Amino acid sequence: MKPRVAFFDFTGCEGCQLEVLNFNLEIVDLIGAIDIVEFREASSDHSDDYDIAFIEGSQTTDRDVERVQKIREKAKILVALGACSCTGGVNALKNRFSMEENLKVVYGDSAKLYSTIPTRPTSAYVKVDVHLHGCPPNRNEVISLVKCLLSGKKFEQCHNPVCVECKLAENICAFERGEFCLGPITRGGCNAVCVTGGRKCWGCRALVDEPNVNSEKEILKKYGLTMDDMMLQFKLFNGALEVSK
Amino acid sequence: MRKLTIDPITRLEGHGKITIFLNDDGSVANVYLQIPELRGFEKFCEGRPVADMPQITPRICGVCPEAHHMAATKALDDMFHTEPTSTAKKIRELLYSAFYVTDHTTHFYILGGPDFIMGPDAPVKDRNILGVIAKVGMDLAGQVLNTRKENHWIIQAVGGRQIHPVFGLPGGVSKRISEEDRQKIEEIAKRDVAFAQLSLKVFGDIVLKNKAYVDMIVSDAFTHQTYYMGLVDDKNKVNFYDGKVRVVDPAGKEFVKYSPHEYLDHIAEHVEPWSYTKFPFLKKVGWKGFVDGKDSGVYRATPLSRLNAADGMATPLAQAEYDKMYSTLGGKPVHHTLATHWARLIELLYAAERLLELAQDKEITGPNIRNIPTGKPTEGVGIVEAPSRNFNVRSRISGNWGFLSTSSGRASSTLLITWSRPLSAPAGQARVFECFKRPKH
Repeated sequence: MKPRVAFFDFTGCEGCQLEVLNFNLEIVDLIGAIDIVEFREASSDHSDDYDIAFIEGSQTTDRDVERVQKIREKAKILVALGACSCTGGVNALKNRFSMEENLKVVYGDSAKLYSTIPTRPTSAYVKVDVHLHGCPPNRNEVISLVKCLLSGKKFEQCHNPVCVECKLAENICAFERGEFCLGPITRGGCNAVCVTGGRKCWGCRALVDEPNVNSEKEILKKYGLTMDDMMLQFKLFNGALEVSK
Repeated sequence: MRKLTIDPITRLEGHGKITIFLNDDGSVANVYLQIPELRGFEKFCEGRPVADMPQITPRICGVCPEAHHMAATKALDDMFHTEPTSTAKKIRELLYSAFYVTDHTTHFYILGGPDFIMGPDAPVKDRNILGVIAKVGMDLAGQVLNTRKENHWIIQAVGGRQIHPVFGLPGGVSKRISEEDRQKIEEIAKRDVAFAQLSLKVFGDIVLKNKAYVDMIVSDAFTHQTYYMGLVDDKNKVNFYDGKVRVVDPAGKEFVKYSPHEYLDHIAEHVEPWSYTKFPFLKKVGWKGFVDGKDSGVYRATPLSRLNAADGMATPLAQAEYDKMYSTLGGKPVHHTLATHWARLIELLYAAERLLELAQDKEITGPNIRNIPTGKPTEGVGIVEAPSRNFNVRSRISGNWGFLSTSSGRASSTLLITWSRPLSAPAGQARVFECFKRPKH
């Protein structure tokens, strides 16, 4: 029997689901090997019976928390798909303010009619078996993960910083172009697409394992930047990192 | 009284729930579209480097990040009083045209269209791309997938990424287009034009030749007489990337045409306690509730609305299809909401033709891709048409701006008038504002 795979969306932009849809011709092969039983963005079908659950988005309401816990009870394997689920993503930027302040700006005098809770990544509430980082994740990683799950192999994250792939792409260092790049401390696996596109790394794939802190300090010193500058940049996608695992 | 609930709404970016209350005789008493959560962009952009806004605002929607990226980038142009170079503008519009081709294709064949293609009574399990493949055959389905793939390649090659592009900078773009890529884009654009024409033929064969579908399109249930909004160029033709916002009344007469900086004179938001989304309306007409007609400030900003609000299309093949639609449906404006699918395909053809024009423009590979901002930044506004709606970005900046500095030049507060989803208010109107304001000190 083919594994039953479900995609569940929480708070986010749903670009991760679209990245999966963008497999295009590859998806036709993929669906030969698995049964996609839930994929709200692309299908009206629905099922509560699944083996692998992909969680897209972060949890920002009490209802979200209950829902992700129920999914965890049913799923054999739970995958955090993308920055919002892995680290809170940009949604976590709201945690810098009180929830009342967030509501007041949007709803004014009617703010008391609404509620919201601080943004948390999925691992703050349930055990996550695999994290697929990125905003959105790299589609090759998603395919690679599905293949590993089908064949029973362990899925390996990329353990290099973005800088390694950036060098292989023969890019001019973004710092040399005057940008503040997070490539030295960010987990690779994206082929440094943003730098190749003429820009810099914004750190959407979270902190690499064992980042070279001393090297990063030297880089900051060389370009006249501070640790505070770096944290401001890093928190764009990683504002809730302290509570994620 | 009976209650029907549709939760969640599917084949749509964004979360929503619909609750329908029925009277004892089975007629509809009330319908509510509820958006269940707050994202918080309005507040959380505060204190962030304003240069990051073209990266932050696209995370509102991963289906149309190009629109948010472009609107925020244009707001930065305006804020820095820096006109992009001619080549940069063309590169941006080229990417934007490829984006429209993919997005309208996605919508017609994968998101909204399956209801049409599979038929009004098709089982729920068949209303998806796989059902579409089974119905239209792998030949056409292969072209759908290939069109998406090839235009995604353009977005990646020009914008740096397929989802959440990175190329927009105040005054230009971050990367040139090589001659090799230009040739490839030109070939893709030619195939896009043929694909768009084929899609219009498919729509004609499957939908327009089927009386049950046509009856549904022109039925009272799917007809609302509202105001319509869209960006137009200086000849009042539909434009996705630039121009003025034109609004026509339910009779099709121009109500207002305004420049980006004037948007707050014309648009306000209404709050309802049962949904986290807010409801934009025409300020000078006023909010009169969820009703249509000339006295209600409800307006629509969709593919059909853009065609209603303009005098025509800027490319010849799309213009011919535009004329055909209006002559078939009895003249302008068309109030039948389901005709939005037809309008979307006409826009698909326009986007493909425009992509081809730009790919054949020799200037597109030019080296002058950016004017570096040198002036003092103040306040900026940017508007683009997103495939399903109209975006309007307004930005102000505080602090001492250092272009690549992270410790100054931060957005101090943000007002984002969020979108109403396709089923909210009478039907399908939406508009987004993003505004980064100066602090009060």
